Amino acid sequence: MNPAEMNPQDMHQIVLTVVLPLLAAFLLPVFGRISMTFTRYLGPIVLLIGLLSTYVVWGEMTQPYMIAIGGFAPPTGIVFYIDQLSLLFTALVLLMSLLLWPYHRDTSVREYSLSLLLAGAACGLALSGDLFNIYVFYELASVASFGLVAAIASGAAYAAAIRYLIISGFGSVLALTGIALVYTQTGTLNLAQLALLAPEQLSNITGITAFLLILLGVGVKAELFPVNTWVPEVYATAKKRVSALLAGLVSKLAVLVLVRLLVLVFQTEQALQIMLLLGVLGVISGELAAWRAKDMSRMLAYSSIGQLGMVFIAFSIPGEAGLYAGIAVALHHLLVKPALFLLAERWGKSLEGLRGAARVSPGGAMLFVLFALSLVGVPPLPGFWAKLLVVMGLISQGAAMYSVALAVILIATVIEANYFFRLAITLYAKTEAGEKTGEETEPKAHARLDIATSALFGAALIAAVVFIVPLGQQLKDTASQAANVKTYISTVFPTDGR
Amino acid sequence: MSLPEPGMTLYAGAIGLIVIGIAGIVISKNLFRILLALVIAEAGANMMLVLAGFRFEAIAPIITGQGMPMVDPVPQAMVLTAIVIGVGIQALALSLIMRVYKAYGTLDMRVLSRRLEQDISNDAGVSPGSSEEEPAGVRPLPSPMGVISKQGADA
Repeated sequence: MNPAEMNPQDMHQIVLTVVLPLLAAFLLPVFGRISMTFTRYLGPIVLLIGLLSTYVVWGEMTQPYMIAIGGFAPPTGIVFYIDQLSLLFTALVLLMSLLLWPYHRDTSVREYSLSLLLAGAACGLALSGDLFNIYVFYELASVASFGLVAAIASGAAYAAAIRYLIISGFGSVLALTGIALVYTQTGTLNLAQLALLAPEQLSNITGITAFLLILLGVGVKAELFPVNTWVPEVYATAKKRVSALLAGLVSKLAVLVLVRLLVLVFQTEQALQIMLLLGVLGVISGELAAWRAKDMSRMLAYSSIGQLGMVFIAFSIPGEAGLYAGIAVALHHLLVKPALFLLAERWGKSLEGLRGAARVSPGGAMLFVLFALSLVGVPPLPGFWAKLLVVMGLISQGAAMYSVALAVILIATVIEANYFFRLAITLYAKTEAGEKTGEETEPKAHARLDIATSALFGAALIAAVVFIVPLGQQLKDTASQAANVKTYISTVFPTDGR
Repeated sequence: MSLPEPGMTLYAGAIGLIVIGIAGIVISKNLFRILLALVIAEAGANMMLVLAGFRFEAIAPIITGQGMPMVDPVPQAMVLTAIVIGVGIQALALSLIMRVYKAYGTLDMRVLSRRLEQDISNDAGVSPGSSEEEPAGVRPLPSPMGVISKQGADA
């Protein structure tokens, strides 16, 4: 941190994005007994305050800085590391939580609480610079998401939640073992100090094992290939707003954690190879399952596995190019998938039942086509540029594995195009006279809200088409800043690097 | 650096607990047993973390002014946190298991996953599992599961 340039009071308020949601989450049940109206508005207000402070910090930040929580200097104390990448994700967490907030009036106080808990923990994941602290925030986000999945209170949701919990618990055990291995090797869990020690102490078989364990552990949330069996069940049973949050946001934060670890600590060829392999398997299994799916919720769930696989492939490209491509693909998916889930709120039924649904809600169908085109990667939509970055990155790599990944991504695009366009054709299919279309009922009030929210995402997508050049430049800067290990170390340990 | 004998035994114990736990998660069919296996695996992981900073010749990390070498306190603090998190998740899991039992009347994982698949498919109005593709342009028949979907009702 450079106090001469930045006002520390302003810079420290980024901590509010973690503290306020958590505090509000714990106090909400108490407030709920006093005033329901206040409780209803508190969550969005807290998220708005968080967004505001993120905005202020964004405006003032000239270089990455760190905050030692409680004034204890690292490596003893816990640090928050703030650079463009973590700030970007903090802002996205708050914005998405706000957009996907359960606004309808029959929401229980517990659900508000859990949503805030998820937002606070997710901000913590984005900002934290300490491996164990990341683990704690990760568990916090897990608990919040179990609760949100079960909040729909049907037998299927309970069963899906407990299966999700078991896989997630299994992942936590693996991650904790990985963290223990890292600690045995290095004696620290501060990411900056790990970055210092990693080249000599973690580039051995123990280091790779630790990475694999943490990858599988955190990968549960990131829908990584072997540990993603919960995905279709949970996304099909939970409320669609929750599915949107989990698929769009929480998975990206898990990816962010893995990327930080990969860049700072486990920058070895084997680690990248493992991630590439699992990513390729994820793309294949996800896209094929999505192609076979018969209802929209599960189609989106499987396609989300495929997309996350592509994110992993992108991040496994070494160097800045990989980070740039990965961040672009992740952000694109973060924008598009929640919007599609919101549309699925009305259309979650079988794909066949959606014949001619476009006539009943032309706006929804148009949005669907827009998102589908972008997800498949039709120029000039942002999805095309994101995919292009991945493809270019893969071409520039010589190894055979990367060529295989390239082929897999191209084939997956064809499959993706097939099932999305099949659905689009169904939506616009002519229905015979007297035959009813996929939805007869008038849209409910919150369905209209869903369409409106999803239209907002659509507007953002189109805005991204217009501003693609400055946006790309900004992302490139973000990626190069995140790839700079030296800056990370010298920011956390300004004096001598220890 | 070679670890003293009891250290190796303890490491083996920790890894053993993790292996037993993971095997239990994979092999068990009863949801409650799976949860217990998870608890065992967690205990193993916690033990491993404690061992990461443990030294046999050292004393407990309390400042007494004797100048003796102390055990690394950081992993112990972390394990305390991990245990608390673990207990919280176990409590949540148990309450979910109770709800699941009330809803389905069984804790057998095989039955549960089949019933869950059925429920999701019924809810979406599609026949569970794979079936022949319907001919294009023809409206699908009501599924053999006897689902009363909207289309089925007015066909």
